[in-house]
Amino acid sequence: MKNKIIRKPRQTRVILPEKPKGPLLNIRIRNNLEEKVRQQTDELKIREGQLKLGADREKLGADREKIAEEQIHIRTKAMESTLDGIFIIDAKKADFPIIYANPSFFNLTGYSKSEVMGKSYFLLYGFDANLRIVEEIKQTLHQGKSFHGEMLNFKKNGEKYWCLLRIAPVRNAKGIITHYVGIKTDTSLMKQRDSEIEEQREELLHVTRVGKLAEFVSSLAHEISQPLTAILSYAQAAQRMLKDREPQLREILQYIINDDQRAAEVIRRLRSLLKKNKPTFETLDINTLTNDTVTLIMPHITAKNKVIRLELDSNLITIQGDRIQLQQVLLNLISNSLEAMEDSDSRELLIRTSLKDADTILVQVKDSGCGIPEENKPKLFAHFFTSKPDGLGMGLSISRSIVEAHGGHLEAENNPDRGATFYFTIPIHMKSDR
Amino acid sequence: MSINIFIVDDDESVCRALKTLLMTYDFEVKTFNSAQSFFATVDHDDPGCLLLDIHMPGLDGWEVQKRILASGSTRPVIFISAEKKDDATDRAIKAGAVGFLQKPVNGQTLVDLINGVKD
Repeated sequence: MKNKIIRKPRQTRVILPEKPKGPLLNIRIRNNLEEKVRQQTDELKIREGQLKLGADREKLGADREKIAEEQIHIRTKAMESTLDGIFIIDAKKADFPIIYANPSFFNLTGYSKSEVMGKSYFLLYGFDANLRIVEEIKQTLHQGKSFHGEMLNFKKNGEKYWCLLRIAPVRNAKGIITHYVGIKTDTSLMKQRDSEIEEQREELLHVTRVGKLAEFVSSLAHEISQPLTAILSYAQAAQRMLKDREPQLREILQYIINDDQRAAEVIRRLRSLLKKNKPTFETLDINTLTNDTVTLIMPHITAKNKVIRLELDSNLITIQGDRIQLQQVLLNLISNSLEAMEDSDSRELLIRTSLKDADTILVQVKDSGCGIPEENKPKLFAHFFTSKPDGLGMGLSISRSIVEAHGGHLEAENNPDRGATFYFTIPIHMKSDR
Repeated sequence: MSINIFIVDDDESVCRALKTLLMTYDFEVKTFNSAQSFFATVDHDDPGCLLLDIHMPGLDGWEVQKRILASGSTRPVIFISAEKKDDATDRAIKAGAVGFLQKPVNGQTLVDLINGVKD
């Protein structure tokens, strides 16, 4: 638009030297006159255009100012509305005074505006804070770097909260640090949730470990009881065969019998020491249980770069079961699947819950790993059978006995394409014969 | 008259030892390493007391006892197991067994139990 207006008078000027000059003065004069009028009109038009342009410019400037103002307003509002505590420190002053803090900052720290503004940022930490971390923040800022860290903070009233703190330098056009902008986020709730999950995981792992040990001892006891039974029976038989003969031999046999019974007693005591916890039955929703279990093992899954897909049937009916024990089964199946997929490029693990029939819930854990070699199939659920270099061979046998204690079955089969599916059933109504 | 004893235990050594012991008490003893071979050889109405292990591959002791009851047989059954569950004795009696003995079994206790069946 600017260009068009300026070009127009130039064209007029180019025409001017070619004005007709001739004997007909009147005409010339008239022509001159007309020319002048035209020229003036043009000039007026130009001036008018210039005036208009000025007005446009002024209007434009005002609009821009308004937009800028609006933007500042929105940004300020946003800063005042966010739940994160935001503060700005004057970097040019040695004591790092706070020159701005948003309302959430006051909420978070418990200090009022007058207690914060103009005061050194580090004074707010008080004496309870971890001085090592406060010193680290100072050092980082002095070096012109950004700080990022999570720490326990104290409100003015002494209340503890976990704070994720990020402070970054703000530089001017010359690259000199003029300010620091900081963001404080209260992570107490997240921390609490994390620690709850961690606690549950620990509980489950503990129960699993104790369960494994108990099952291990129980299996060992069984294996040792068999030869002890044979030894005792042989010795007692021999004693009877000797009747009144060979008193020395009969004495030796009696020692064998005594020691056999001593060994049996050791096993009995060991077993009662590691008595398995009796299942405590409660009303359970298998989908919730599955979700909870997956939450517990999620970090492990992510670390192994695998993904879990859940297909949970929303029409399931609640069952009666032991929460910890059933979680143990699921956890065991998921861990096995992850191990089966260890060297596999496939990533997906599928857990599906469904109704097998009106009275039975089916839970499937499907992996895309190495599958079950044919020769391992018959021994898969046996005590002490393991295909892992560091396995005890307890996981699946315990899982099966847990599922069976719930009146269900635990089975496994290879998938048609790749990997294996382990699945168990839980009847909705427990049969009362066990 | 001597009582027939059938022993079903998947551990061959246990079978042989118990048989040796019980023969000193003049019992007629036959041993089987699985429930299947016991059912295949012994008829439901063949008289005799059954000494039955619980943990066996294939049919376990509880299943065997169920089958015996279901067939209408009155064969006395004594469970002999390494397992000592607190409720195992109760469960054994409830299942219709004469008794439950934990391994290793004292010969005299076993014989007393068997002779109790006879009376």
